Amino acid sequence: MKLNTDMRVNRVTDEVWEIPVTEKAGMLVPARIYATPSILKTMDRGVFDQVTNVACLPGIARYALCMPDGHWGYGFPIGGVAAFDTESGIISPGGVGYDVNCGMRLIRTDLTRDDVHPKLDRLMTELFRRVPAGVGAAGFIRLNRDSFAGVMTRGARWCIEEGYGWHRDLAHIEEGGCIAGADPSTVSDHAVGRGINQLGTLGSGNHYLEVQVVSSDRVFDPETATALGITGQDQIVVMVHCGSRGFGHQVAGDYLKVFEKAMRRYGISVKDQQLACAPFRSPEGQDYFSAMNCAANTAFANRQVITHQIREAFATVFGPSAEELGMEVVYDVAHNIAKVERYPEGELLVHRKGSTRAFGPGSPDLPWDFQKTGQPVICGGSMETGSYLLVGTDRAVNETFGSTMHGAGRTMSRAQAKKSIRGEQLQQEMKRRGILVKAVSLSGLAEEAGVAYKDISDVVETVDRAGITKKVAELHPIGNIKG
Amino acid sequence: MAHSFRFLDDIAVADLAFKAEGDSVAELFRAATEALLETLAETSTVAVTWERTIEHASGELDELLFEWLSDLVYWKDAAGVVFHDADLSVIHDGATWMLAAVLRGAPVDQATQTLHHDVKGVTKHLYEVKQQGMHWYAQVVVDV
Repeated sequence: MKLNTDMRVNRVTDEVWEIPVTEKAGMLVPARIYATPSILKTMDRGVFDQVTNVACLPGIARYALCMPDGHWGYGFPIGGVAAFDTESGIISPGGVGYDVNCGMRLIRTDLTRDDVHPKLDRLMTELFRRVPAGVGAAGFIRLNRDSFAGVMTRGARWCIEEGYGWHRDLAHIEEGGCIAGADPSTVSDHAVGRGINQLGTLGSGNHYLEVQVVSSDRVFDPETATALGITGQDQIVVMVHCGSRGFGHQVAGDYLKVFEKAMRRYGISVKDQQLACAPFRSPEGQDYFSAMNCAANTAFANRQVITHQIREAFATVFGPSAEELGMEVVYDVAHNIAKVERYPEGELLVHRKGSTRAFGPGSPDLPWDFQKTGQPVICGGSMETGSYLLVGTDRAVNETFGSTMHGAGRTMSRAQAKKSIRGEQLQQEMKRRGILVKAVSLSGLAEEAGVAYKDISDVVETVDRAGITKKVAELHPIGNIKG
Repeated sequence: MAHSFRFLDDIAVADLAFKAEGDSVAELFRAATEALLETLAETSTVAVTWERTIEHASGELDELLFEWLSDLVYWKDAAGVVFHDADLSVIHDGATWMLAAVLRGAPVDQATQTLHHDVKGVTKHLYEVKQQGMHWYAQVVVDV
């Protein structure tokens, strides 16, 4: 099999491939890639180079992992998972991703395609008006430094206290929407300056808000789907993909500079400057962890405020209220984060970058209503093809530090996509296919065309067959908002 | 004096990259600045109602360019603006490179401006600033 690497890649199973420690000087553990043979062949060289670079980092446990949606990233590959001993290991912004707690939220409704179709244009216009997207867009909430500190420390809880959501939403957000140990004093003025006006905004790039349909023939596990509030029968759901915006990126940039100097002091060398790191227990490592948690909480709050706006938009168009429309949060999950979790090796700092937590049934970290199902996992595809709802498994906890894929994964660069596709034409073609798109930037829209991504169904089949997540339902887009 | 830039196809799959060049350090900075401003918005559609004077000094030229480009991203978010142009100069004084610039633009307005990417940050992935003969070059990857 011809791969985009000269390294030896051994088959473990049809969905798991291993690069042994002998393939690169300095590897402390093997690298494992989750992919079918056909996905493995399409993976870019960066995946192989970067996952083996990660395998060289101090304190790494068991394996450096990459999920089937993996592709080149800054330092770590996107789709990367790596766990480090909390005493002897490191923390790295490149392993978290610069858009800290970029993540997915899914909101269910009692509406059907027949209810929404006649008013879809009005709904998308209302959503586009209420959820700012694109370059420099500011949110409707005016914050001062004190109230922004509340967002950093209390995350989605701050939103509920301020009336932007329902208290029961919190149970359906990873970590209850509020991660402990977030100290605003570890965040720079620059980061605050970038984030203070962005609460409730979508951003641009691959971020989106999507109105989707769940048809009964695309529900793969009806019992689990029902437990998660998914009925099929052309049910309408809403998906949100965004993160901590400029705030999280500034936190990452600030600490990359700190870590570049700290690495010299701690005698750490890395194979790529973007892998800059510090010992987790060092003052620098702890400060970054705290600042990262501030950014993670801000991202939870961002998606919570957007949820409030989505509910307001639906209530305006369909009335009488979001509660009566059954607009409950199915789940909200981070896919760019580092968290302390317990595994057989002991307490580990698990970095998930473009990877979703996927805890199985019975996990003490899940609320009572997910004890039987396992944790919901939300994976976004391209805006043309669809997305998936899955659930975590015990096998993920045993094999991949409770982690799985996060989306489709790009195969075509933005520059290439823009050369081959015109945004306006794509918007018209999608409309003909029943997908109404509102975009701030038509060139940005072209870059997000379906052909620029892997087929998410192939990626989902891989994790399903590997047993690290189980398919529940496929979600088909009918309306999309992009920055 | 001349400068130019071009976007690169295959450097960063999920993000954007550009190569800038100029026949002096100042021209290189102008090229890289134009590339980043065009990444954010079509500069010809942006009015001039906002202005900021920015100065930076660094012992390393590559660090100076990185800080300057990062400043553009910062002001885009902090002031909620996109940019029309930047009038800048770069001088070498002993061991220190110094940049003085006036950054001009206007608050974001989706009705009148052609907006492109909300750049989240400038990265050091494959980042380089180098001199070849009489020309200066920079390669920059920005996270969108």
